[in-house]
Amino acid sequence: MKPAELREIDRPWRIWASVIIVSILAFSVVFGFLVLPIVQGRAAGLDAFTAICRAVGILPGSPAVKQPTSEAKAQPTTQVAWSTDLMRTFGRRTQAGAEIAQGCVACHGEHGIAADPQNPNLAGQSAAAIYKQLHDYKSGSRVHDVMTGIAQGLEDRQIVEVATHFASSARRDLDPTTAEVVDEDVIRLVERGDPSRGLPACNSCHGFNAGGPIETPTLSHQNREYLARQLQAFKTDARRNDIYTRMRSVAVKLTDREIERLATFYATTLSY
Amino acid sequence: MGERAVTHARRLTLAHLWVAFAAFAVAAVLGVWQMWARSPLPAPYLTAESYFTSVTAHGVSMAYVLTTFMVMGFGYYVAETALGRPLPLPRFAWLGFWLGIIGSAMTAVTIFAGNATVLFTFYPPLTASPFFYIGLVLVVVGSWIWCGLMLWAMLDFKRANPGVPVPLAMFATVANAVLWLWTTVGVAAELLFQIIPAAFGWNESVDVGLSRTLFSWTLHAIVYFWLLPAYIAFYTMAPQAAGGRLYSDTMGRLTFILFLIYSLPVGMHHLFMDPQQSSAFKFLQMSFTALVAAPTLLTVFTISASLEIAGRLRGGKGYFGWIAALPWERPMVLATGMAFFMLWFGGGGGLINMSFGMNAMVHNTSWVTAHFHLIFGGTVVIMYFAIAYAIWPTLTNRLPMSPRLQRLQLWLWFIGMMVMTLPWHYLGLQGQWRRVATFNYSDPIIAGWGPWVIVSLVGGIILLASALLFVWNLLQFHSARAVVATDLRPIYALAVHPPERVPAALNGFALWNVLVLVLMVAAYGYPIAQFFIIDAPEAIVHRVNGRG
Amino acid sequence: MRADTEQEILKTELWWTALVIAIVTAIMLAIIYAGVVHHINPPSNIETIDPKTLHLTGEFTESNLGTRVEAGDQVTSRVVATQFAFQPQCIVVPSNRTVTLRFATPDVIHGILVTGTNVNTMIIPGYVSQVHTVFTKTGDLLMPCHEFCGLGHSQMWATVRVVPEDQFRPGPDGRASCDAR
Repeated sequence: MKPAELREIDRPWRIWASVIIVSILAFSVVFGFLVLPIVQGRAAGLDAFTAICRAVGILPGSPAVKQPTSEAKAQPTTQVAWSTDLMRTFGRRTQAGAEIAQGCVACHGEHGIAADPQNPNLAGQSAAAIYKQLHDYKSGSRVHDVMTGIAQGLEDRQIVEVATHFASSARRDLDPTTAEVVDEDVIRLVERGDPSRGLPACNSCHGFNAGGPIETPTLSHQNREYLARQLQAFKTDARRNDIYTRMRSVAVKLTDREIERLATFYATTLSY
Repeated sequence: MGERAVTHARRLTLAHLWVAFAAFAVAAVLGVWQMWARSPLPAPYLTAESYFTSVTAHGVSMAYVLTTFMVMGFGYYVAETALGRPLPLPRFAWLGFWLGIIGSAMTAVTIFAGNATVLFTFYPPLTASPFFYIGLVLVVVGSWIWCGLMLWAMLDFKRANPGVPVPLAMFATVANAVLWLWTTVGVAAELLFQIIPAAFGWNESVDVGLSRTLFSWTLHAIVYFWLLPAYIAFYTMAPQAAGGRLYSDTMGRLTFILFLIYSLPVGMHHLFMDPQQSSAFKFLQMSFTALVAAPTLLTVFTISASLEIAGRLRGGKGYFGWIAALPWERPMVLATGMAFFMLWFGGGGGLINMSFGMNAMVHNTSWVTAHFHLIFGGTVVIMYFAIAYAIWPTLTNRLPMSPRLQRLQLWLWFIGMMVMTLPWHYLGLQGQWRRVATFNYSDPIIAGWGPWVIVSLVGGIILLASALLFVWNLLQFHSARAVVATDLRPIYALAVHPPERVPAALNGFALWNVLVLVLMVAAYGYPIAQFFIIDAPEAIVHRVNGRG
Repeated sequence: MRADTEQEILKTELWWTALVIAIVTAIMLAIIYAGVVHHINPPSNIETIDPKTLHLTGEFTESNLGTRVEAGDQVTSRVVATQFAFQPQCIVVPSNRTVTLRFATPDVIHGILVTGTNVNTMIIPGYVSQVHTVFTKTGDLLMPCHEFCGLGHSQMWATVRVVPEDQFRPGPDGRASCDAR
């Protein structure tokens, strides 16, 4: 067949295919962008222009209803907000961080490993977690006889530096002799959670590969007494600087025995 | 078009298909364990992390490895057998294969090391180890090489045979290659510009609305990439296996063209319940989604007509007598019948999903899981089995004594899929949500679901048995008696009236690419641009690969 | 099926195509009807909110969450979805009255449905998700997180307590909570 003939049989295909497809597009635009928003907007008391803009996404809100408003005042449980810039500052260990850390030796040990198990170990803790707690002491979101005063003496930059310093220190070795036989139900709570109480697995935030909230602390290698006391504080609402009750809502569902056993498990057995 | 020797593509096809089915078998085992975990029965090895590791591995193997290698391997086979010419540039094909192997291995190691519990949809701001994504990118790059080779083979054929229509099997394969090139643009942009920089730590935040929109670009069309081999088998292999002819070659071409056009500007129906896309654009994409039903309905008709011809040639009488007269003992015919049956249920479910009012009832419930398992795992994968049974003799020049075990395997798959997905549909309507490891069976609402979950687990076990039998059946080929090529039945069906000349529109994709571009600009232009206009707030990246 | 000539085949195929077009059109008309008459719309109010500072904002501050009767007798319930719990974990709403549910998240993608109803929305960091609905059945309904949000996803759910309208008694500040009843 000659090329001219071929073009001839192809031409109607080209034209009709384009016409049909563009018509369907036009139909959808007329109904989706004009008819539906205008009709729905009228019923909701919106003018046609607003309704169309909302339907297309230029203005916020639905074309079919009025937008509610809120005049509530912010009453944040913490002043810490994670930002790209803040996240980038973690991870660079500085001399200044080591110097500030000298002020922590008395309670948190020379290398960030506390002698008194009532105090937390800081060595190997996540920088974001240390930053959040120091910042909360400073702003009053978390209160402690000693820590509040110390944190108020630190600038934001210094908080980042000392947090980064401890994050990169070697953590406490687990002492195998202190490891206890762990109950099956405690391991279950750590790895699987308890569906009947709506309790997520502890490791879904505190595990090594968790991907939970940014400020989640590492619990492995922490001191048992400290862990148990904090869980009790969350449970009784004595401590409430967790964003959106993430820890309070968990701790309140734990029994006192579970709190003891979980603290022991993380402090003596779990290692990553 | 008669059967010709498979030369270059023989080892290439076998290699691709064995990788595909090995991944499939592993994923089938994981799938059954996941259903066990979700049931009221106590499952071993169950932790939150092990469950989502398993779900990620199951999804990646089934949706990315099985499908991509199957499509590629089958494509190479079609290019050589349907065109009757040796595959051009086989070295590049092997390059694509090895890229896919390296990528799959990299992804698998990352998943099983526990560094990628993000599921196969990997929605940010949860991010996995960068090697998870790089592995996936390598698989996609390998498949891009395949796309190039398919286009090259078709153009080569056209140059050598001016005016001769490209055989339908090859035309459809190239349609899939073109579709895949369009499809991967969305996810490639998401991975390269958003997720991989975040996974490496070069970015600490990510625009989640944009990433979901880009992923939706890919999310629906990819399903058609998986599906088209099944449709190629419907049009070109099933009528031949039944002893008949294809009713209309033109309808076949139009069907594949419609798939190319209307599988792309429709991805936003996966975002119907998302707050970051507007109702007008959702409406636009919904009406295009309705049109995706068209090629499927056309296929149901054309293939039924083709099979009717076969049935009547075999002596079938009356309105339904031709159905009974069909050679159901042949795996391809049996699989086609089962695939159509599942397509009715799955397609009906799909029509419910596509309307945004009804979608609110089922979005992210087990209904959706049931829907895509029925359409993909049912209709599509059962045709993958049938294709394998049909082409394995020509790949190995060997034929087992009897297809009895093949039929048993197909029946098990069909029954298993029904037993598994019908309860899921029901549970989805009851509000059972998806992607969870454990349910609280102490809740009175959820307690009533328990028996149905156990029924679907039984379906899963039947499916696993079928999957293992499938691998066994393929192995049987390699140790069966040898046959000479002339003993083998030709694979591709002739049309009732084979086309002598077809318009360029039905012999290539230039026109359709232009129309796809128009539709994509209309459907996705502003929805993507808006994130840059409204300056959407970004979310901090949450990494699942070790706290750093 | 007649298939003797190409013309016959073409004619049959065209009839079938017309039927397909009719089916697709019917579906679209049903959807348009639902949109025009019942005002069915997807949850699509592109209303941005920064997830990084969500807890510092007024509307989604911890103490402002839950149900509140606002100007014009509008019942609005605000819920934050966070890894791995909803805050509050129970909301109370009246039956047979339009209720607006507003959701936001400070961290990753979540989603909700309420069992036995058509309430369903994704919750995407960066946006407020909003659903308007009327609950007709009273009782405790489940509101699970239905999109994978991390390893604790399976245990993330809340309760929607639908009470008869006459038993819905907000306090003097317009607020109603599950505990108060």
